[in-house]
Amino acid sequence: MKIAGALLAAIVVAALLLPPLLPWSYAAIDWDAVRAPAFSPGHLLGTDSVGRDLLARTLAGTRVTLAVATAAALVALVIGTAWGATAGWFGGRVDEAMMRVVDALYALPFMFVVIVLMVVFGRSVLLVFLGIGAVEWLTMARVVRGQVLALRNRPFILASEAAGAPGRAILTGHILPNIASVAIAYLMLTVPQVVMVESFLSFLGLGVQEPLTSLGILVHDGADDMDIAPLTLIVPGFVLVATVICLNRLGEDLRARMAR
Amino acid sequence: MIYAVEGLNLILNGARLLDGVSFEVARGGCTALVGASGSGKTMSCFAPFGLAPGTATGSARLDGSELIGLTEPRLRPLRARAGFVFQQPLTALTPHLTIGSQLAEAAGTHDRRALAAMLDRCGLAEARLDQYPHRLSGGERQRALIAMATAHDPVLLVADEPTSALDAGLRHAILDLLDRFRARGMGLLLVSHDLPLVAKHADRVVVLDAGKVIEDGRAGTVLERPQHAITRALIAASPRLNSPAPTLPEPGAPLISASGINVRFGKFPAVAEASFDLREGEALALVGRSGSGKSTLARAVARLGPCDSGSVTWRGEPLPSRNRMRPEHRRRLQPVFQDPAASLDPHWTVAQSVGEPLRHLFPELTREARQTRAAAALDEVELGTAYRLRRPSELSGGQAQRVAIARALVANPELILLDEATSALDVLVAGRILDLLAKLQASRRIAILAITHDLAVARALCHRIAVMDAGRIVEAGDTAASIAKPRSEALRDLVSAG
Repeated sequence: MKIAGALLAAIVVAALLLPPLLPWSYAAIDWDAVRAPAFSPGHLLGTDSVGRDLLARTLAGTRVTLAVATAAALVALVIGTAWGATAGWFGGRVDEAMMRVVDALYALPFMFVVIVLMVVFGRSVLLVFLGIGAVEWLTMARVVRGQVLALRNRPFILASEAAGAPGRAILTGHILPNIASVAIAYLMLTVPQVVMVESFLSFLGLGVQEPLTSLGILVHDGADDMDIAPLTLIVPGFVLVATVICLNRLGEDLRARMAR
Repeated sequence: MIYAVEGLNLILNGARLLDGVSFEVARGGCTALVGASGSGKTMSCFAPFGLAPGTATGSARLDGSELIGLTEPRLRPLRARAGFVFQQPLTALTPHLTIGSQLAEAAGTHDRRALAAMLDRCGLAEARLDQYPHRLSGGERQRALIAMATAHDPVLLVADEPTSALDAGLRHAILDLLDRFRARGMGLLLVSHDLPLVAKHADRVVVLDAGKVIEDGRAGTVLERPQHAITRALIAASPRLNSPAPTLPEPGAPLISASGINVRFGKFPAVAEASFDLREGEALALVGRSGSGKSTLARAVARLGPCDSGSVTWRGEPLPSRNRMRPEHRRRLQPVFQDPAASLDPHWTVAQSVGEPLRHLFPELTREARQTRAAAALDEVELGTAYRLRRPSELSGGQAQRVAIARALVANPELILLDEATSALDVLVAGRILDLLAKLQASRRIAILAITHDLAVARALCHRIAVMDAGRIVEAGDTAASIAKPRSEALRDLVSAG
């Protein structure tokens, strides 16, 4: 738990603060040091096949991946909570209809839909996270709906109705605060899922555009060069795996604590 | 003696939960552990069997074998010589397995004839073997659990509040069943806060307080001539049907009148053609077994639940439907629910919860005026200012129920709806809440609609009583007269069970 938190914090802080301090930016090409090994002057972890600093590129990729993941998870949180809370609160036919929409979307092969979107509208970071956020909210909606259904028949909700509270006040005053902890725990678990999806899309070449990079692109490029320069695969691969494991660990821990 | 506990101590995180507890259960006898909640009754039952947290010392001999200090593998065969029945028959069965398969697991045999015989001696038909738990009523589930606990013919049955989740009518039936097992030589260790039940079935009573035995003796002696002040308080708090009738305030003008109320859940008629009326300052008890439609009727009338047809008038004017209730309507009647822990938002402080009705029902009041009124309401339920910033997790059950009552009173309603307001509380606490309600009834001349399955509560507070059975009001009349001469079978059952 503590190790996961510390490692994740180290990765995030490094990705945010370290790049300006490095001699080379992620896009700059050092013509004198193509495929430099680790510990070369100016390139702590060496360079890639066109002479770009691996450390700078990994940090930039981490930043993009985490930004996309956080944004997409927040999109999922907002849509999922709104959808699930509405369905659970109104119940009956509204609930039926809204949850059938969720079921229908679940049934679509979403990776395929995202790929089609990319092909049709071109590649952009915005589209990547919109597409991913649109997939990830489904689980959130189901979780939130279940919580709202369980809460809405609790006596304190009835007492609030007797106290003259309008539906809006009950929803914002009682329901949302009581599901916040669960929603946040699922948010924490959504982020690593999005990291994986984004990396997968980038690995297929459908993610962000060069020279901008993400962990998925770096792993892809590194895989091409792994026999000559194994570090170009190992470094971004390690960061990716560490980030996902740490986030999952923290999310699970949070969820267990909320469940009590 | 089949079971003898001597000098039992239980220490958990440095706190001494049990301090030198001693008691005995005779072969075929019944020893009852009584006491307020938190007095260590349950711990005393389970600690010797390694089923309670903490470290137990002292001595506990089951049929001559010492239990304390044994390692888990050596304790297990001894534990199998005892049977355990728990409080919650509704949750103690696995929903997706049939009664038969759960019983087979407990009994260690799949022989259908043997399993049917086990159910039969607990008063359940063989057909139950193939049914899932949701097809059984609360009392039937408790019978099934007793069948499981007694499947391997234990020498001792430990029953922790086996009847408190059940209707009054079922309690004696369950205890009668346990008595039949005792007749065959099994000892019974019973935990209960239901003193009339204990008086009828137990032969020894052990009174616990704060982890210590304060009184121990023959049931009749302890309950009729209690030596200790705490025992006397427990007995006094236990409402009795033969206690003197209270003086209730004189009712005034007609207040609310419900006629022809129908509520259906799907095709099932939960309430059918129910009518009643209530005058100012008058209290009406809606009694009946669980599932008879009492709560559904009261909620339909209070516009806090579905109501398919029927009319409700307030001082002669129709009360609008649930969605059309305006603050001036909501002000008139306020509810208090059964489970105090669930009726307060866990995130809200006491002051916020009590202030909620004022915020919505009296928007014209200033912030200061609202705070003053909330403080006055808390004062009225005898909770000081120290409680204002607490959250429900920092309150006991009785304190939480006081907060819920304060929230109901703060809007100055003319009618309060008490939905089993005392039944989730321990006897001592329930007695104090009942006293508080009687005091408020006298001082505020407030009308009460009390839903209860406890006739003692009806007698303590209510002028009149209406008995419900299967969604219909089958009998209505003056409380004392109705209880003295029940006309309906439903009321007769409740009276004989009380």
